[in-house]
Amino acid sequence: MERHDAIIIGGGLNGLTAAAYLARSGARVLLLERNAALGGADASYEIVPGFTIPRYSLGTSTLPARIVSELDLARHGLRFLRVDGGVSLLEDGGYIASYRDGAIHRRELARHSLKDADGWTRFRRDMLRGAQQLRPLLAGATGDPTRRSFSTLRRLLKTASRWGEKDVGELHDLTRLWTLSCADFLDDYFRSDAVKARLASDALAGTSLGPRAPTGARHLLGAFIDETAGASGGAPARVLAIGGPAAIARALGAAVEAHGGMIRTEAEVTDVLLREGGARGVVLANGEEIQASAILSDLDLKRTFLALFPWSALPDGFVERVGRFRMRGVSAKINIALDSAPEFQAVPEGCPALLGGMRLATTLDKMDRASDDWRDGIPPRAPLIDMLVPTLADPTLAPHGRHVLSVAVHYVPETLHDGVWTGERRDELTDLVVERIAEASPGIRDRIVALETLTPPDIESEVGITGGDLSHGETTLDQMFFNRPSPALAGYETPIRNLYLCSQSVHPGPLGVGNAGANAAALVASFLGKRG
Amino acid sequence: MNGESDMALAEQVEPGEAAEAPDAAEHPDLDRLEATAEVDPDLFAHASDEPPFGRRVLTTPLHLSVAAESSTNLWTDWNGYTTPEILTSLDDEYRVLRHAAALGDISPIVKYRISGRDAGAYLDRLVTGNVMQLSVDEAMPVVFCEDRGFVVGDGHLFRLGEGEYRLVTEETHLAWLLDSALGFQVRIEDVSATLAALSLQGPHAAAVLNAAGFCEIETLRPYGARWFDISGMPVYASRTGATGELGYELWLDPEDAPMLWARLFDKGAEFGIAATGFALRELARIEVGIPRAGCDYLGAFTAVDPADASTPFELGLASLVDLDGGHFTGREALRRLKQREPRHLVVALALDFPEPIQFCAIERDGGIEGIVTSSGFSQALGVNLALGRLRYAASVGALAVGVDFREGLRVRRLKIPARLLTEPAIISPLRHTVPAPLLADY
Repeated sequence: MERHDAIIIGGGLNGLTAAAYLARSGARVLLLERNAALGGADASYEIVPGFTIPRYSLGTSTLPARIVSELDLARHGLRFLRVDGGVSLLEDGGYIASYRDGAIHRRELARHSLKDADGWTRFRRDMLRGAQQLRPLLAGATGDPTRRSFSTLRRLLKTASRWGEKDVGELHDLTRLWTLSCADFLDDYFRSDAVKARLASDALAGTSLGPRAPTGARHLLGAFIDETAGASGGAPARVLAIGGPAAIARALGAAVEAHGGMIRTEAEVTDVLLREGGARGVVLANGEEIQASAILSDLDLKRTFLALFPWSALPDGFVERVGRFRMRGVSAKINIALDSAPEFQAVPEGCPALLGGMRLATTLDKMDRASDDWRDGIPPRAPLIDMLVPTLADPTLAPHGRHVLSVAVHYVPETLHDGVWTGERRDELTDLVVERIAEASPGIRDRIVALETLTPPDIESEVGITGGDLSHGETTLDQMFFNRPSPALAGYETPIRNLYLCSQSVHPGPLGVGNAGANAAALVASFLGKRG
Repeated sequence: MNGESDMALAEQVEPGEAAEAPDAAEHPDLDRLEATAEVDPDLFAHASDEPPFGRRVLTTPLHLSVAAESSTNLWTDWNGYTTPEILTSLDDEYRVLRHAAALGDISPIVKYRISGRDAGAYLDRLVTGNVMQLSVDEAMPVVFCEDRGFVVGDGHLFRLGEGEYRLVTEETHLAWLLDSALGFQVRIEDVSATLAALSLQGPHAAAVLNAAGFCEIETLRPYGARWFDISGMPVYASRTGATGELGYELWLDPEDAPMLWARLFDKGAEFGIAATGFALRELARIEVGIPRAGCDYLGAFTAVDPADASTPFELGLASLVDLDGGHFTGREALRRLKQREPRHLVVALALDFPEPIQFCAIERDGGIEGIVTSSGFSQALGVNLALGRLRYAASVGALAVGVDFREGLRVRRLKIPARLLTEPAIISPLRHTVPAPLLADY
């Protein structure tokens, strides 16, 4: 029987990252991916021959710079582009863009409100402050603060003394950031609805939260995590991988193999072999058994435990707790091939921010209603629509002069209150979205060469993510940090000995995809090292 | 498009909507000079049909005039406007400043027009000093803080009329100015783009202006200001400037600026007038020891680390804080802070080193105690002068600045002894002379 040091179940970016780190540390590694292409939710496909497009995700996934450099992914062909943050088209026919350059961004905000151009300074300061406090939490496990160990106590004391030195006002600011809704938080800085809607939709796209939902404000930090105070003072840059997120997966795969790791695609794991309360290996769909000293799961929490184990083998109450972890899809994906470049009337020609994506007419109210629809299980009547034209940054993804349009439709519920997603309902959603795109870009219908829509259930059945939830579990505060997915599991270990979680279901989740894989790999490597 | 709600009390006006013009009756629009210099109006005010990404930096109304004086083609960015770094050579420009009259385009500086019934009361509440004592046609240096006593910005406040003021600052503060205006009958406009500004500094400055038609300019006292009519161009001249020299700043309509520039050159030739750039402005303020916002200190709304924000006492601006006068934002906090030891100080240093240095550590006994934030070589004194931020506890005793500099293909690491300066390194006696000299007899 085949035997390895570590088996990684699932070839998403976290699984690949874990595999690459483990292989680099000298472990014999085998990564098993169910589908034909690596990347999991970030995989690409050819919608029609010659037109490559991210199948499930918008195409803006990236990896933390630390991982790119530690795994030397540049040597494996990975290249990035830094582009402006994107454009929102407004209902009144106008637009608002996010520019990296401070002077240009201020002028852009000034078109909407002179005061907001200046409010940006203080907003950016507070975002950078919040990001600075958040950053150290991402690379590394967060221990359960209630666990009574010496190291936890020491860390708590250190944190407490650090906070003791801080200004009271700063503590107040921090409390606001972590508890307020996006809309309430932004009201403190900005007046223009366009500015507020732009920032709120940036933060909340892909979550189930509406702009007026409490604790939404902290999502504003996401874009600032890699931003430095020294930058020119504009909006955070968007970093795109050339070739799309699938190129990241390919480079990670190459890194795994360069370090002697093995990757098998179209190899679905159906069971984890248990012996004496510990994981000893996996069983593939074709019945093949493979053994390993450590098993890492890049599947979401629910799929890991509810699909790979006989429930009776799990500790008392565990199945129930896993079942309560909230995973609900929020985004549908529409993939479009175009025979020429899409034009957006509202945006002046040559606007460099278009490379960062376009978002369709959004107001805080509309987002609020869409979020309500999601909660009520109704296909959103005014969905939040995010678009990216990957071919603007990388023309090789389509034949010369042609383009692909990647569309993420947010606040789309996974289960409908009155039934299931049928082909008919999927078409209704598609028509609504295409209609909205055509309002901003007349004539786009005639340019469509191919179009395909995937609802959350479609994503679930193809990628295997429970509920089609691309973030592997809601990112509300009760499911983040030492609570992700639960205090006992946040440290990547599980009740099953030798089984580790490395997906977005564990800390830090979608805050820097790849971190969970790297953190879990560090833990497993030290376990393998101790074992000798 | 514009998401502004109409505020009854504090209004905000888009640039271009209300250009700052002097009272028409007081300054009748006389026959204008024949155009002796070109100006493209689109150069200054951001043309509304041009998208923001069209140009990274904008140009001032004097851009063509200034560019004609440049022999170096060295430009820099000041508040989003193209500004000459050096026009001829820094040494030559310095000589002009200290011995003749240095003309500079300071249009990129941020200007706010604050008017209305409560303008005085509003400003008195905003800044730490006593604005009520400011008479019409007078200016004062001001600093303004947020409620925790940390400096938001500093600048100069001009009183143009009974209820009309102009606040001139290094950085933009519109959001803070509007937030502070709640409850006051006051109108706040950003006139940065609709008001051009020239700086004429040097011992011959009054002579040049006198020759150019600024009658009785010599009687203007320091921080005094007055309207002049120069061949039909209304020009507001103030005896201000951050150079330690006799000097004036001229405020006028952008369309008139190139004509005034040409006229000053024409009439000032015999007094040795020359155009100068941003590097000279920086050097001159370093010689006088004036910290610049965003460079030597960070405003409270810019400092990412709260410890980087400063109180007025830490900036050496204690003289601008009137704790015994009326209430102002941050007064209670500043009262408490005054009792406490400052955490750091912005200090002026003299270094025996021939080259300007940047971002060097200030050390004492081998430990890093501060940072050099700006520096320049003063040819007059033969030393390198620097401004820096120093931990308060380290502000006595022997200091050194650690400098890495390139020698061929090697790094030489030097520890340069540094002296703390307690007063401006250079300040001209003419700065306070009234009447200002009109002849080259200083």
